[in-house]
Amino acid sequence: MEATADYSAERKYDFDVVRWFTIMAVVYLVVGAGVGVYIASELAWPFLNFDNPYISFGRLRPVHTNAVIFAFGGCTLMGTAYYTVQRTCGVSLWSNKLAWFTFWGWNAIILLAVITLPLGFTQSKEYAELEWPIDILIAVVWLAFTFNFIMTIANRKSSHIYVSNWFFLGMMVMIVYLHVVNSLSIPVGLMKSYSLFSGVQDAMIQWWWGHNAVGFYLTAGFLGIMYYFVPKQANRPIYSYRLSVIHFWALMFGYVWLGAHHLQYTALPDWTGSLGAAVSLAMIIPSWGGAVNGMMTLSGAWDKLRTDYVLRFLIIALAFYAMSTFEGPVMSLKTVNALSHYTDWTIGHVHSGALGWVAGISIGAIYHLMTRLWHTEMWSEKLVNVHFWTATIGTVIYVVAMWVSGIMQGLMWRAYDEYGTLAYTFVESVAAMHPYYAMRAVGGGIFLLGAVIMLFNVLMTVWKSVSAGSLREARGPTAVAAA
Amino acid sequence: MSSLAEYFETDWAAMTATDWVGTILTVVIFVLMIVAYFQVFRPKNRDKLEAKKHIPFEDDNEDRGDHDGRA
Repeated sequence: MEATADYSAERKYDFDVVRWFTIMAVVYLVVGAGVGVYIASELAWPFLNFDNPYISFGRLRPVHTNAVIFAFGGCTLMGTAYYTVQRTCGVSLWSNKLAWFTFWGWNAIILLAVITLPLGFTQSKEYAELEWPIDILIAVVWLAFTFNFIMTIANRKSSHIYVSNWFFLGMMVMIVYLHVVNSLSIPVGLMKSYSLFSGVQDAMIQWWWGHNAVGFYLTAGFLGIMYYFVPKQANRPIYSYRLSVIHFWALMFGYVWLGAHHLQYTALPDWTGSLGAAVSLAMIIPSWGGAVNGMMTLSGAWDKLRTDYVLRFLIIALAFYAMSTFEGPVMSLKTVNALSHYTDWTIGHVHSGALGWVAGISIGAIYHLMTRLWHTEMWSEKLVNVHFWTATIGTVIYVVAMWVSGIMQGLMWRAYDEYGTLAYTFVESVAAMHPYYAMRAVGGGIFLLGAVIMLFNVLMTVWKSVSAGSLREARGPTAVAAA
Repeated sequence: MSSLAEYFETDWAAMTATDWVGTILTVVIFVLMIVAYFQVFRPKNRDKLEAKKHIPFEDDNEDRGDHDGRA
């Protein structure tokens, strides 16, 4: 019955573009995590820079962040958004051609990033490093994605728009606004520009973008994934639809205030940081409401976690979501921030969100999609389980290493001796970090191993589907005859 | 004057147009959030809203028609 339903969906909806986004997401996960492990190793063993500017930490770090956030995250978001909107609205995409334009456009942007960033072309704005011509291309492709999504919703068969589409749409609208404003700059050459903002305004705009990239791209978008794929994988409706509605509106209203908490103890007016911290604390309520909503979907069916490895990914991701949305507000408090800011604690926090939440929910959704889009079981269920444990253990090792090194850094930097002078030099604090940097590289390496296993399993599943003719069969007699 | 009153003291005359736009927008959205909470958690609306949670499971039906009254 499941197969019949999937066959009819295959004939009704535009899934080819979703298939390509899904495969590319897994490829970029391996590339992005691979570069991440390499630069983590550079920090632990600096000889790995090889005195080559193109592979130095400063050049490769934005390659890593752009690859994991925009390449892996972007392909996952676009693929799942195109899939979810069709299945919850009961109609195919408004324009399949426009969807393919977003696929090729987005991948062209990624290619340009991989070329320009190691060459040193950068606006030096965190998570918005790409130079102005690429920024314009991003805006065009993102608007095409948004327009296609909106028009598909407009064509829907039902009057109600399912909540996952609200989250996707919230992300799309806000990212247009954030990306355009943050990227406003004056070009002075083909690959050089200067921000329209300066001084404290520049810092404020940068972190208004920076935190909202976290809030709307890495949170709202992936919550859209969560609200569709957790119920589907668990085969149970979401625990509370009412809670999901409040989750959405509270998130949309709350997140835009938080950016200033990245700039405590700087030239910004003091009240902006306090306001950012206060709203950050308030955001624990909707965030935990959403996490509990996702987890409680399994209420009465927790035994599924014993056998369903994909569901494990989705649920552990929610646990990391809850953890990092508690940790973030705590770190935004001025007293805690005085210790944590500029230390590796921040890196640990970011990666508990990025590896645990974003990658976890994405990987779960991608495994779910693999069986639906290629109309076959995964090539190896055991490898999915191995991936689950490597991803989880790798993430925990990474995050614990950064927690310990970050708190140690903060304590060493603020330690005074009996004469009131600093107890440690900066170099001593760097030397003390070495074991934790090595531990971080090992944790990242274990996570990367899981990603490679996933890519292998995904490619073998595609091969299995092609060999057995599963996809061709699902497409129906017309496809078989044409072939 | 209590310290709390001092803390909340505002020089209204010094408010710029931007300050007023921000203040009004914030208060309006705050009120809208309260309205949203009230509407969502009102017992009368419970069944109507919770019925939407089944939408992801209805897409397997080829002739699913409508979930809520629209053809």
